Amino acid sequence: MTTSPRPQRLLGFAGAAGLGLLTLAGCSGAADADTGSSSSSDTSSSSSDTGSSSSSTSSDTSSSSSGYTDGTYTAEGSYLTPGGEETIEVEITLEDGIVTAVTVTPEATDAKAESFQEEFADGIADVVVGVSIDELDVSRVAGSSLTSEGFAEAIETIKSEAAA
Amino acid sequence: MVIVDPLPHAWRFDAIGTPWRIDTAEPLPDELRRAVAQRIERFDRDWSRYRDDSLVSRIARNPGRHRLPADAGPLLALYAELYAATGGRVSPLVGGALAAAGFGPRIAGVPDAPPRFEDALAWDGEHLDTLSPVLLDVGAAGKGYLVELVSELLADAGLARSVVDGSGDLRIRDVPMRIALEHPADATRAIGVAELGNGALSASAGNRRRRPDGWHHVLDAVTGLPARDVVASWAVAADELTADGAATALFFDVDPDWLLRHGVEWVRMRSDGSLERSPDFPGEVFA
Repeated sequence: MTTSPRPQRLLGFAGAAGLGLLTLAGCSGAADADTGSSSSSDTSSSSSDTGSSSSSTSSDTSSSSSGYTDGTYTAEGSYLTPGGEETIEVEITLEDGIVTAVTVTPEATDAKAESFQEEFADGIADVVVGVSIDELDVSRVAGSSLTSEGFAEAIETIKSEAAA
Repeated sequence: MVIVDPLPHAWRFDAIGTPWRIDTAEPLPDELRRAVAQRIERFDRDWSRYRDDSLVSRIARNPGRHRLPADAGPLLALYAELYAATGGRVSPLVGGALAAAGFGPRIAGVPDAPPRFEDALAWDGEHLDTLSPVLLDVGAAGKGYLVELVSELLADAGLARSVVDGSGDLRIRDVPMRIALEHPADATRAIGVAELGNGALSASAGNRRRRPDGWHHVLDAVTGLPARDVVASWAVAADELTADGAATALFFDVDPDWLLRHGVEWVRMRSDGSLERSPDFPGEVFA
């Protein structure tokens, strides 16, 4: 699994749905959780008015304080499903040790899966186009449930690769 | 991207195979986090088909009389209603069919085809009687129920405001929110926005766990096959158990009186891409 810093890009995946943007912070402290689950993290926004979790804190660039190098990273995680192993691609932006953006994209691992997903997408997307979430002012996105395992694996990879 | 969090503190963790997020006005104290973790663990120990030490696995291996935990009451009562309201299409007895399709381990003796409710079990509010191996699956409303239980736990501890998000099941207490309804075929787009300050929203779609051959996990108990007609649904109700159950039921023909009686507002997308909605759905639908 490779990670490389690259400019932020919007990942839209027609077919099996990706995630949209989540924010995560405190990833570095997440490994030992008191809940007994594999990872847990806390975020607190610095200002109480908008509550927005996108980074707004004072330090702009330096990586040395957090132990992670700033940048956008991509890693893959896999998990088993009835149809075989599935891979997801996770893209994360780190700013001063805080994860400020996350995008998750499922990757079809065989041609049949990919074409089915494309058919599904073509069939649906034509009729109801909807509105880009970027254009909406929302507090949350609700779609079907996500699967944790592949995501956690990708996060661990990114953490180890991003360590300064 | 404008996603604004109305409460400043978010606690994220994984549970029952999915990411959870709990938003509160103040950071949650450790004992409350432990209580939440324990509640979830207890639920998982009872209802998980993926654990061979779970109650449902034991029931499947040992037909006979079983005493169920107290929280089983509201869950099974809802299932009985959904079974009636959907003409038998939503049922807790699809565990064997799901396992046979690869969604979880199989248990010897459990048939692949879902049995009829009345043939398979008797439930008196405390005890479950089964005659032969039957594998219960509470996926249709279980996560929503657990989200509701966790939300209640926080409210009982004195938190007036909270958002419990079990990934597609959102229980909100006194937090005005706008929630984008994610397009099942394109995660960068929304088919509508729900506005909710108090109550429950549940989103259900066959997309994320869909296999190449079209199998997904919302099974029609009459056919034993995945629902085909509806591809995504969103239900809003006063509590998450009802919302989650309703979101599943909306994959099928559901008695409109049931929805009315339970104050469910909803949107669903059919497989041809068209949208249907209840007249008073709170928010906008982009159709």
